[in-house]
Amino acid sequence: MSAIDRKLLDEFREILDADGIVSRATELKVYECDGWTVEKRAPDVLLLPRSTAQLSAILAALHRRGVAFVPRGAGTGLSGGCLSLNAPAMICTSRMNRILEIDFDNRRVEAESGVVNLHVTNAVKSKGYFYAPDPSSQVACTIGGNIAENSGGPHTLKYGVTTNHVLALEVVLPDGEVVELGGPAEERCGYDLVGVVVGAEGTAGIVTRATLKLMREPENHRTLLAAFPDADTATRAVSMIIASGIVPAALEMMDQLIIRAVEDAFNVGLPLDAGAVLIIELEGLEAGLTAYADEVAKTANLAGASSVRLARDEAERALLWKARKRAFGAVGRLAPNYATQDGVVPRTCLPRILRVIADVSRRYDLRIGNVFHAGDGNLHPIILYDEREPDQVRRAIDAGREILKACIEMGGSLTGEHGIGVEKIGEMPLMFSPDDLRVMTELRHVFDPMERSNPGKVIPQPGACVEVAAPRRQAPI
Amino acid sequence: MAATTSSNLANRLNSIVGADRVRAPTDTEARAADAIVEPASIEEICEIVRMCEADRIALAPIGAARSLAGIRRSPVALGISMARLARIVAYEPDDMTIVAESGITVGKLNAAMAGARQRLPVDPCGPGMTTLGSLIGAAHSGPLRLSEGASRDLLIGVRFVGHGGNLVHGGGRVVKNVAGYDLMKLMGGAFGTLGIVTEATFKVRPIPSDYSIAVVPYARAADAFAAACILNDALPLSNLDILSPALAPRFNSTSQFLLLAGVSGSPLEIGCQAGRIRDLVGARGEILSADGALRSYELLRDVDFHSAPLAAQIAVPPASLAQVLEACGNDIEFRAHAGSGVAQIILADEPLAEVAAKTVARWREVARSARGSLRLIAAAPAFRDSLEFFDTPNDGALALMRRLKAAFDPAGIFNPGCFVGGI
Repeated sequence: MSAIDRKLLDEFREILDADGIVSRATELKVYECDGWTVEKRAPDVLLLPRSTAQLSAILAALHRRGVAFVPRGAGTGLSGGCLSLNAPAMICTSRMNRILEIDFDNRRVEAESGVVNLHVTNAVKSKGYFYAPDPSSQVACTIGGNIAENSGGPHTLKYGVTTNHVLALEVVLPDGEVVELGGPAEERCGYDLVGVVVGAEGTAGIVTRATLKLMREPENHRTLLAAFPDADTATRAVSMIIASGIVPAALEMMDQLIIRAVEDAFNVGLPLDAGAVLIIELEGLEAGLTAYADEVAKTANLAGASSVRLARDEAERALLWKARKRAFGAVGRLAPNYATQDGVVPRTCLPRILRVIADVSRRYDLRIGNVFHAGDGNLHPIILYDEREPDQVRRAIDAGREILKACIEMGGSLTGEHGIGVEKIGEMPLMFSPDDLRVMTELRHVFDPMERSNPGKVIPQPGACVEVAAPRRQAPI
Repeated sequence: MAATTSSNLANRLNSIVGADRVRAPTDTEARAADAIVEPASIEEICEIVRMCEADRIALAPIGAARSLAGIRRSPVALGISMARLARIVAYEPDDMTIVAESGITVGKLNAAMAGARQRLPVDPCGPGMTTLGSLIGAAHSGPLRLSEGASRDLLIGVRFVGHGGNLVHGGGRVVKNVAGYDLMKLMGGAFGTLGIVTEATFKVRPIPSDYSIAVVPYARAADAFAAACILNDALPLSNLDILSPALAPRFNSTSQFLLLAGVSGSPLEIGCQAGRIRDLVGARGEILSADGALRSYELLRDVDFHSAPLAAQIAVPPASLAQVLEACGNDIEFRAHAGSGVAQIILADEPLAEVAAKTVARWREVARSARGSLRLIAAAPAFRDSLEFFDTPNDGALALMRRLKAAFDPAGIFNPGCFVGGI
């Protein structure tokens, strides 16, 4: 018996237009998972408000009945953050997609939470500005989803993640109350509740509006492709580049398995004989760039690069980024299924963790490719498997967990940008003590005392064991 | 009666930390706390917190005590000095992260990283006396916030002793990490009202190879701000600040507003930017380089507002800062971080209590109408009682803040009564 009865549906009909309520099972199937496709469960009803007032009225109605809900943006998340878990109602912000104000003088944009990430940059780039967080799903993912997950992207290395670019939020609390947090100025009085809501994975209510910071476009770029005989040498180059005092805008690595997959699929001219490549992007004043690019090339050669190539023009630069961003699509050709981890290690531990991953690959008899944000130490090992063979599935899950455990032992983290969601909730006690988790629960209860906003995410229930049936299939990072 | 209570407190502290580490406050500390204890371990802090919770004894973490001495109406019973918890726990230059106990000063931390040509680029006034605890708790920042961000942007891990005397941690030691709630943000700018930060992990940055600063005088504030706006639009500046005439003499200026625009990078980049600054603001002023530039930057950074009879920090959307400062009146002096919309303002002369209250009310109204905020950095003890030190947030946000305080400090002992809404 669903908690969404006829009477509650009637209430929704008074709040929303007819096309804003989806309750037919066939239509709801689209909403049964996000980019984490292992666990699936469709909500009992999907609600598509067009305004804060409508969204607030929906949450108030759910509050009166004690019904839990799950917020959703575009559903591009990779950790099951918007899986309908013990939450009969799903509230999707995709129709709240207006950019409300662009303030170039103050470098601010005010947008509804359903606005697509890339649309913000598209709206301001003609005047030489951009919105910095650039997850690879940015053509589809929403600002609200980015805020929930505290999303990153390749250019995180220089610009930071979403939380560094959000100044103010309008949030509808789980009881329907609308609150304004933060403001358009850089400082505010009182606790930094904006900083708490960003990255709370939808457990603090639903964000409806955000004031974002804009950045000035750099004067120019240099993008280099450095090839190395093996992954060890490439990671050593990463450390040496950073140690030279140059902080690139992006510093990405692909290993041999990925290089070959990308070349087979897209033929972008990556060196097939290389054990690993680095894509290094520098940006800033034209006056300094040539010297920095020369120094990076010199450092890469010193570290043992077999070749270093500078993208000659914007077309070649775009091609390199295409190779990087399509790597996951290319891997899809190598095996029926793959699972992606999002662990982080201190940058200096990259050689060690890559050796661990190679060892795990051997011991579990599974192919594992690496394409990741090397400058940040944020790994994305891609474990290839075939879901038709239950033993392979089991091994893929165990291999992933062993890699995450090694990340934690090296002083790292379970997730750099994908969030905990349901996927990694079972591993949270590896990173946080019972006291840490208790305090996080207390913090959650400040916003959501009944745990009705996205229940079952981020913080594991004491004693509960989350059993994952199979690892994720695809993950376009 | 009070004497009995305080000697009782001293006795009990002695049993936790030993008599040699319980002492009377210094002059500055005395405005923040009646007695000072210097724990030497996290366990001691945990035990002190448990004791204070049981007996409802108000406490506050203390570094140099500048921040709390400037704003507490009355001292708390017990100041927890972090002086003995000032070690660097881990520093790996190639990771560009540093872990340190909260009692270390920004100056000492940066001295330890100088050999690797790295720094924590948050630059409060007097880094030699600003502890990490104070940097985080009082959200200090300086001119470099324009290019490097504030401590909020660089703090990636935190340990604190919370209620029940429990040690809690959030974040970690890696530069990118979204596991669990962001407890770092909670501690930032909370003025010690949610717990005692004992350890912090920061992202650090390379020290640029060169730094130059343009120092340009203007007769009118409006002209200085107009020039700042042009420069900020054209160049990736390190800092962009404006000093009012009374604060400018240390730069040998003759009663003019001073625009200070810093540029950093390689000699090539510096040369290019210096050239463009000359093109944009004309031949007036001078561009200092090398040691001269660093000295000027340090003078700018270290303009002290803590000892003023009435000092405030105002934050507004950057484009309205010039107008806002003008509307604050012609009896103020200021240091404006022009690109960030943040400024510190003082009344040069010590006002009467009634005048102080009216002045603050006026400033606050000006900030509010520009959609900004104002908090007091310091006020003379004589008229503290008549002042609100923080803006009161809107009802919805304040209700959440009260719930947060109640959840994190159920006994109400962490620096009570001096934060927003009386928290």
